[in-house]
Amino acid sequence: MSLDQVREKILGITDQTLKYAKDLNIPSTEVFVYSLSSTNLTDNKGKVDSRDGLSLGVGIRAAIGKKIGFASTTGFDEESLKATLALAHSIAKTSPENPMFNGFVTETKTSKEGILDPEIPDLDAKDMIEHCNIMGQGFDSSDTRLISVTYAVNITWGGYALGTSEGCLASSLITTYGANSMVVVTEAGDRKTAADFVQGREIKPVEGLTANAMKHGLDSLGSEAFGGSEILPTVWKSREAAPFIAFPLFSGLSGSGYVEKRNPWKDKLGEKICVDDFTLIDEGQNPEFESCRSIDAEGTPKQTTTAIENGVLKTFVFDKMHGEAANLKSTGNGLRGGTWGGIPFENPPGVGPNQILVKNVGKNLDEQIAETDKGILITGTPIGLFTANPVTGDFSITTNDAFLIEKGEIVNPLKSISIAGNYNETFQNIVTIGSDRESSEWPINAPSMTFKGHTISD
Amino acid sequence: MSQSEFILDLLNSSVDQGEKLGVDFIEARYDDLQLTTVALINDIVKQSSAFQRKGIGVMAYFNGTPGYSYTPELNSEGVKGATKRAINLAKSTDERNVMKLDFDSIPAIKDKIVVDVKKHPKDIEFSEKLDMLKRGVSSIKEVLEPTSTTGLYGEMFGEKYLVNSEGTEIYWAPVMVDIRMGSVFMSEGKQAQSFTGTGASKGLEFFEEKETTPEQTGLDAGKYCKEQIDAVAAPVGKQTTLVSPLMGGVVVHESFGHLSEADFVVTGQSPIADRVGEQLGSEHVTIIDEGVSPYGGLYLPYDDQGVKTGRTVLLEKGILKGYLHNRGTAQKMNAELSGNSRAINFMFNPIVRMKNTYFEKGNLSFEEAVEHVGSGVYAVDMSGGQVGLDGNFMFNCNRGYLIENGEISKPLKNHALSGNILELLKHVQGATKDITIRTGYFGGCGKNGQFGLAVGFGGPNVIMDQVLVGGA
Repeated sequence: MSLDQVREKILGITDQTLKYAKDLNIPSTEVFVYSLSSTNLTDNKGKVDSRDGLSLGVGIRAAIGKKIGFASTTGFDEESLKATLALAHSIAKTSPENPMFNGFVTETKTSKEGILDPEIPDLDAKDMIEHCNIMGQGFDSSDTRLISVTYAVNITWGGYALGTSEGCLASSLITTYGANSMVVVTEAGDRKTAADFVQGREIKPVEGLTANAMKHGLDSLGSEAFGGSEILPTVWKSREAAPFIAFPLFSGLSGSGYVEKRNPWKDKLGEKICVDDFTLIDEGQNPEFESCRSIDAEGTPKQTTTAIENGVLKTFVFDKMHGEAANLKSTGNGLRGGTWGGIPFENPPGVGPNQILVKNVGKNLDEQIAETDKGILITGTPIGLFTANPVTGDFSITTNDAFLIEKGEIVNPLKSISIAGNYNETFQNIVTIGSDRESSEWPINAPSMTFKGHTISD
Repeated sequence: MSQSEFILDLLNSSVDQGEKLGVDFIEARYDDLQLTTVALINDIVKQSSAFQRKGIGVMAYFNGTPGYSYTPELNSEGVKGATKRAINLAKSTDERNVMKLDFDSIPAIKDKIVVDVKKHPKDIEFSEKLDMLKRGVSSIKEVLEPTSTTGLYGEMFGEKYLVNSEGTEIYWAPVMVDIRMGSVFMSEGKQAQSFTGTGASKGLEFFEEKETTPEQTGLDAGKYCKEQIDAVAAPVGKQTTLVSPLMGGVVVHESFGHLSEADFVVTGQSPIADRVGEQLGSEHVTIIDEGVSPYGGLYLPYDDQGVKTGRTVLLEKGILKGYLHNRGTAQKMNAELSGNSRAINFMFNPIVRMKNTYFEKGNLSFEEAVEHVGSGVYAVDMSGGQVGLDGNFMFNCNRGYLIENGEISKPLKNHALSGNILELLKHVQGATKDITIRTGYFGGCGKNGQFGLAVGFGGPNVIMDQVLVGGA
């Protein structure tokens, strides 16, 4: 099925389901129809697994005034659609009123769609094996320090449609491609894991992914103990800086957290919460990002929102219900399935980030290292990032993918260290926001960054 | 034709098609799972949702190479398409697949399992479920005046069928219920929060048991929140720590259990590969994984390859005894079938996963264990964590107490527990003689894109020395 045919089908199912809802005398209905094809192939030290399939489903919200019910089903057969409508309606009948709910989207209004790669639906398992072959070129597979190499290629294509009994009927399509390679290496009892990846809405070049992972892994061997505890600056590569700051930003920008008084920045609107150089954008309209869609998951056009400008908190991000509960509007951040995934049609909309972008400012990673008298270079995502205390902002994380910097030079890789600090202070303690940026696996993207005041210990 | 006959016909047609197309082995699964979530936030029903996951997944093996496809379209055309795609994937990737994990035939199983449930969630009105949440939230308010409250109810039930080319036909009807309560509280400029509760592979009679009534869960949430206001900072650095059944269960699941999954072992990714017979932990450490446990937890009679789940001793008195297997890894490693091949739903192929994983009990009373610690930390509950394939772990303890002079004293502020499980197992000093295993609808285990798989975890209270406590 072509992408155009997918669009035609999901719009047709949406329209038909709204007609069924009318026949069932449901006062107000929102229908979310989802169709996504996917193929995944992994080669893990020669053990090949592959999976494909078509995920089809419908999520329905039925409303009686301020009483709402949600139900979903896999598949598009008429019997299931009608049963799901009836179930959502019956849940609405028995639910108490939700005073925040103010109706579904009432008109069809769309913004820009992202890039669609027409070649992605045509990729088959043999093509994906060829991509594995290409990413595996250019490294010494006979190196005795190598324990295992993993290759993976994943593709998806499809879309969703959104319709309401109040007059919205729109759709959004997507294609995605991802490839990654991971190595496990060991030497003299030291064991390291390293990876490299590409991902985006189009097929990407995969040359050198394994070689890059291998180089990183081998460079990390021979690690030494940090030895003690010391307050030092930390220099973060772009791919590691992004997840490091994700936790406080996701909770701090949440419009639902603001309305429900859970947001740690709920009283900080208009206040300076970061250093002057820090500007943060929630990006729903860059056509290269997966977050770029013509509508969000409840039919509001996606947009670009500047949330923090020159260190000052300008706004939170909202879906329709929480935006209106705050006497504001949706910022096109209605998300289904949560920030970390989940099956979209199985979830009613909630608030989530699009692609959060920290704007580039100054020096690249090498320059930041060169300016560090003594510090730690973080080159792998630490564990424990999402265990920070949401109330106090205190965090304590660990990594065995870091290097000691002395007098502007990388000295040696480190064995496992812990990095402790406080996020509220961390945002005030940014030394440098970098000028270089790599793609991110997370719904956040940042350049390399340097912070001061973190406690390093082992 | 009954619905059951219709489904079995569809699944058997897939098996017939696979055999005609020359695959070595084929299995077809059908899931029809109904899940319901109710979220009562600040006395508002913010979410009340029901969803149905219904479809068929087909796994085909050609020359020892697997291929998997699925369809939500429950008709002959949909199943034929999924079967054809699964076979094509297996054949297309066979040349590259150099690590064959094929397996010998085993005797066919014909079985039908329906769990004995007194108050099945499908028979209970929504209003009764909402009422349980309201009662729980009221109990929170008996303890304090919260700024915010959360009540969550979840249920899952349905049917699963599996047939394969060996003639196996298994039907079973899983069920699970869960209630969680949380609160946020402010006093004298200080803010505290709590979140607690659990689930079971039972019906709603579970919430009539004394320790798990909605009222008790609400009271606990209120109490844990209130005591946080006066909590003191945890002592940082390496501490002797008594970990609760819940906390120890999560540590053993996340940190050790995943390392023992044989798909990580056969590819060399696990640091405990090729180490059977080695003393990895102290004599006080025995770790078990089982499908149906006398201590409760998750009820899992068969895995998603139709293998009857067993009891696997992973570590016995500190010595590594074995790993967790699917049929392919078991044959490759000449090990017994353990029934650990699981898929979260029909959209995913079964992979090696845990069942109920726990530390075996010791011989101490709780008081003796606290006295043994003398000075340290009692870590009770957690709110998230992460682990690495190298055995490193980090968990955020959101409920813990200081142990001073052999007694539990003050509540502790949130703190992080970290270390490397392979180091830590050497420092286990004993365990209590009581065991609790929990499972639940909320949360669950994540691996290879399959997030939220229900597992059981628990154990006794376990004494661990050299746990790194941080100030998060």
